[in-house]
Amino acid sequence: MTILEVRGISRRFGGLQALSDVTFSVPKGQIVGLIGPNGAGKTTFFSTLVGLIRPDSGSVQLDGDGVVGLKPHKVAALGMTKTFQNVALFAESSVLDNVLTAGLLRHDVETARREALVCLDRVGLRSVAHKLAGNLSFPERARVELARALCTGPKVLLLDEVMAALNAVEMQDIMGLIRSLRDDGITLLVVEHHMRAIMTICDRILVLNFGRLLADGPPQQVANDPVVVEAYLGRSMEAHR
Amino acid sequence: MKRWIVIAVVLAVACLLPLTLNPTGYWIRVLTFTLLFAAMAQAWNIIGGLANQTSLGHAAFFGIGAYTSTILLLKFGISPWIGMFAGGLLGGVAAFIIAIPTMRLQGHYFALATLAFGEVMRVIANVWTPLTGGPGGLSVPFVPPSLALYSFKQLLPHAYIALAALVVVTIIFEVIRRGAMGYRLRAIKENPAAAEVIGIDTTKVKLQTAVISGVLMAMLGTLYAQVAVFFDPDTVFSAAAISVRVALIAILGGVGTAIGPILGALFIIPLEELMNDLFSSGAAGLSQLIFSAILIVVILWQPRGFVTVFDKMTARFSGDISDKDRP
Amino acid sequence: MSFLQAILDGLLVGGVYAVISIGLTLVYGVMGIVNFAQAEFLMIGMFVAWFAWAYLGLDPVLAAPLSFAVAFGIGWLVQGQLIARVLKAPSVAQIFLTVGLLIVLENGSLLLFGSQFRSVTTSYQTMSLSLGPLFISVPYLIAFGMSLACGLALWWFMRTSWFGRAMRATAQNPMAAQLMGIDTALMYKIAFALGVGLTAFGGAVILPYVTVFPGVGGQFVVLMFTVVVLGGLGSVAGAVVGGLAVGVIQALSSLFFPIQLQNLFLFLVFILVLAIRPQGLVGASR
Repeated sequence: MTILEVRGISRRFGGLQALSDVTFSVPKGQIVGLIGPNGAGKTTFFSTLVGLIRPDSGSVQLDGDGVVGLKPHKVAALGMTKTFQNVALFAESSVLDNVLTAGLLRHDVETARREALVCLDRVGLRSVAHKLAGNLSFPERARVELARALCTGPKVLLLDEVMAALNAVEMQDIMGLIRSLRDDGITLLVVEHHMRAIMTICDRILVLNFGRLLADGPPQQVANDPVVVEAYLGRSMEAHR
Repeated sequence: MKRWIVIAVVLAVACLLPLTLNPTGYWIRVLTFTLLFAAMAQAWNIIGGLANQTSLGHAAFFGIGAYTSTILLLKFGISPWIGMFAGGLLGGVAAFIIAIPTMRLQGHYFALATLAFGEVMRVIANVWTPLTGGPGGLSVPFVPPSLALYSFKQLLPHAYIALAALVVVTIIFEVIRRGAMGYRLRAIKENPAAAEVIGIDTTKVKLQTAVISGVLMAMLGTLYAQVAVFFDPDTVFSAAAISVRVALIAILGGVGTAIGPILGALFIIPLEELMNDLFSSGAAGLSQLIFSAILIVVILWQPRGFVTVFDKMTARFSGDISDKDRP
Repeated sequence: MSFLQAILDGLLVGGVYAVISIGLTLVYGVMGIVNFAQAEFLMIGMFVAWFAWAYLGLDPVLAAPLSFAVAFGIGWLVQGQLIARVLKAPSVAQIFLTVGLLIVLENGSLLLFGSQFRSVTTSYQTMSLSLGPLFISVPYLIAFGMSLACGLALWWFMRTSWFGRAMRATAQNPMAAQLMGIDTALMYKIAFALGVGLTAFGGAVILPYVTVFPGVGGQFVVLMFTVVVLGGLGSVAGAVVGGLAVGVIQALSSLFFPIQLQNLFLFLVFILVLAIRPQGLVGASR
């Protein structure tokens, strides 16, 4: 069943057409990779999906509910949330409090606390629950942000470069986590620059450039698509064949 | 736990202190106003401390409360106890109305906007003479002493009512701070966009905080009216004497903490009285001048940690810095 | 006809409001702080001009540059010693610093000058010129003329002088300005001193028709803030537009409302602008 239906999303900022008629559907439980050069519009697109930015035109259906025009907290309540590329934690609060706050969407404080600990467990950061969020390293903060997003109980989770600055082992862990989230029934859209990771875990890749969807298909197909190769992948994909 | 023992002791002392003072004397009056202003600062603290929005217009709610209960008493003979709640309701409505346009403003701009609202109320009260008595002000009508009609022979009951009010407002403050709303407010303070994305309705939370603060502040206006017995628009809607003062008390004491407004009031109100005494024989305006000069010096001395001047001292006192230390 | 007269009066008076308020918006534009004590410098300017009139026989209009200079000097010191220290502090500290300054200045002048009202008498105070069926009050006209001259001088300064351009650069991007070799601390001093100086200048210029006393600043506070908010906090052009607009609004409302309600009307305009278009008619949001 289709959980996310995006139709004709367009958005212009002054003279720049940031998004242009983006259209695709995602069945429940898919892991979709979203790639494209810097400035292609990936983060803008995520912001549009969760309601931080309002598209000029187009529609987004989340499990049958239209979400365009809704404020982000309503979109979160309906089951879609995102992580921030540069990580937007509440630095003056503890790690646990950060995640707990997200849990308040659906639970009272005590239950939210328990849920938060569970989410921290899943990203392997339960041990730092009482540390100040601002004191963690960047990769750790990215994982806390993931845990926080998870704690909202989403149907669709948008991950914006959660693997930035990770070493190989950490990356394996995250990839494993992403798969396990999918096994729990969450649908994921993942923006990443690590090609190998994306190609490995994603069922499907969307390629965005200059706000347009260039390609949409299984990893190997996209990797071989000359249009995509030309726009973006080039030599690095050659090396992976 | 050690902290509860300290609080219990302090409360016990607070309850007994008024009894030791001359019931018709000067110091009981100072104590009453100190407690009242501490409660007012605590009500301000909900917006200024928890929601981190420096309001310079809280006099608007205060005056609404004072006028509502007094007018109801004057015109309909309604007990100020009931008038207090009526005033609280109107204060809440006013807070709602003010919050909507000012919500998205930040820092200086927000302060400016709230200041304007306070002044609007003052002008309205000065102009709407048939209702408010205009610039001539209102006197709370004399009523033979009766608890039901909030009338007492001495100041002592007023002191206790003020103490009770302070305790109630402080409890409300703490309940908000420690509860779900506290988490949401902290999130909004740090990163409103992220707060929204994880499901916090920032608009609703800000409105709720504003209304609670407005209701409480208005109710305290009734307390003031009953103690002061006479007031006019330039007193209860005063930007300097009410709005700025309660904000200052909370900030100097430690904004965002429960004990801050209490310490701030204990420091500022008696100090003001002292200076008024010392300099009243001097020219008009001297005590205000010195007071503000002291304020400026304090701000310069600790500009970044202006709000932590007392925080550091009180942190040791109550062990109550922030949620960081909570298990 | 009284309608047209009101508009004419409003424009003349509005020009002065513009000059008085430009300082406020300039300070916010360059430094990002609202100087809550701005109106007190109006009072200072008025007192300087009054004393120049009382003891030196100077017409207030001629004393205006003197008022400017005095306020400029005070502003320079205030900026350097007080405000500069809180530029990096949380906004709450900045707000209360200028609020404290307001109280100090007002009470200081109360102590120095006493609470009595003072006014000047000039030869042209009650004169007026005729323009067809309309009257032009001479004090208003002179005030407007001086404000115009002042405004043009400011415009020339901001556009062509090095200092003016450096200030605009600092307002737009302090970091980049610093990297270009601009001494931003100096720019802040100039901006603040200039800002309060202009307000004081305006004070001197209105002395022929306004009475001065220590609390006079309070009467203009709402007005000034409405002007800058209407025009857009930070926009000098906006202050001009806002000043003229407020002058006209005030004049028109005097046709229908008694004086107390006029103030209220102005407040409501202020609040409406905040609610509907916080960046003002001309300005861009900071």
